[in-house]
Amino acid sequence: MKNFIEVTELKKVFGNGEDEVHAFGPATININSGEFVSVLGPSGCGKSTLMLMVAGLLDSTSGKVEFENKLVNGPKTDIGIMFQDNTLVPWRTVKGNIELQLELRGLNLKDYQEQINNILKSVNLEDFADRFPNELSGGMQQRAAFCQAMIHDPKIILLDEPLGKLDAMTREKIRADFQKLWMVKKPTVIFVTHSIEEAVQLSNRVILITPRPGIIDREIKIDLPYPRDLKVKRSPKFTEYVNSIQEVFHKYGVI
Amino acid sequence: MKKFIKWIFSGWMLILFFVGFFLFWEYSIPLFDIPRYILPSPSEIVSKGSADLDKLVYYTGVTALETVLGYIIALILGLGFGIAISFSSILRRTLYPFFVSIEMTPKIAFAPLFISWFGFGLMPKVIIVVLVCFFPIVLNAILAFNSLSNELTLFYQSTGASRLKTFFSIRLPAALPQCFVGFKYAAINATVGATIAEFIGSDKGLGFYISIVTGNMRPDLAFAGIFFLTVLGLTVFGFVTMMEKILIPWHISMKRINK
Repeated sequence: MKNFIEVTELKKVFGNGEDEVHAFGPATININSGEFVSVLGPSGCGKSTLMLMVAGLLDSTSGKVEFENKLVNGPKTDIGIMFQDNTLVPWRTVKGNIELQLELRGLNLKDYQEQINNILKSVNLEDFADRFPNELSGGMQQRAAFCQAMIHDPKIILLDEPLGKLDAMTREKIRADFQKLWMVKKPTVIFVTHSIEEAVQLSNRVILITPRPGIIDREIKIDLPYPRDLKVKRSPKFTEYVNSIQEVFHKYGVI
Repeated sequence: MKKFIKWIFSGWMLILFFVGFFLFWEYSIPLFDIPRYILPSPSEIVSKGSADLDKLVYYTGVTALETVLGYIIALILGLGFGIAISFSSILRRTLYPFFVSIEMTPKIAFAPLFISWFGFGLMPKVIIVVLVCFFPIVLNAILAFNSLSNELTLFYQSTGASRLKTFFSIRLPAALPQCFVGFKYAAINATVGATIAEFIGSDKGLGFYISIVTGNMRPDLAFAGIFFLTVLGLTVFGFVTMMEKILIPWHISMKRINK
């Protein structure tokens, strides 16, 4: 069987002539259906660029991306996407923002009312459905953005440092939310991050990207049981994974 | 309740300031022996002005018509061109730099030309108001429609929604706060444009009235005219601000004012 997502010799160069910036690649990656893959690397290594190219939201300079053997040549629409800066619009409430995803996709809002309530409950936001984003804390906003990105049950979820701006405690909480949802619905997740611990805690596999121009240094399979709670995080095996990744980046002089 | 008391209090401060200002004005005229043909006292402005009230009210109507008509035309044209330029790369490379370069010329300098082309009637004044209002509206609209965050752009692209749907669901509401910066600036310009147009060539309107009475050494009546112009200007600006509150109550700058 072929892989769910196949990335072949994908490369991105911004600008041309003297202004040319080699941002990423070439890189070849295969991702299975239902896999949680983290793309880990120092800032500026092109990991976000990679994610956007996989989603068809950014043209590649060379190479190709295939989903279930179909070539990606425009924005993919069966995805849910989340960024460091959330995509909540200030003129809609939390619930209105979740409905925005459905409206833009031409889905019937009536069919989703129960699902909206459920997903809000799953992230403890049920009392804030009618609040506007600027009335919420950063962590709550990000949880609302999470509901917005997931409400249409996407098969593929793209996360671009969604926890980047949050404090350590909130990060921990939302990580658990991600894990819970992934264990239930088993979407394919590409998680871009520069937190080693986060990558190890959540992923089946971590792809380590070198400093710019980013290429793949190595892939590490994380063989730990789910759910990866505090107990797993305190296990020697977890620490071993974190240490071995730290050594790789230490070698590049980024940490 | 606390908010309400605070509001009343801040209102009283302002009223107190104005009362003080006018009292100072009233009593400094005998005190410093200022001749009334240089600066009349507020009480004289009121008493002499009220004798001319019919004329002042009629002229306010004339100037208001020029102002509002010009403003609405500028609003429609400014938004239309603004949106067109934001969405067309050809227009962005041609019309946009053209508009920016015209923005540098003082539009009011065209006023005598328009009067000589179109006569003393309503039309040349409306054109001048359009001219002074159009540029702030169009330039802010272009800025507004081009400053959607990268994340929101990627988000709507990932939904596969049509351009029309994204325009009304995301692009337009996201652009409104910046558009209103232009609308408000233009609202201030509008009465200025109408007044200057009337200074240059007209037979009615508040600008006409002020220039005639000043020529007749009647600063008291000139101040009465200025008072009506101020009321007109505040009304136009107040209406635009009210529209802003109705259309974008969610905007952060609105929330800060309310607090």
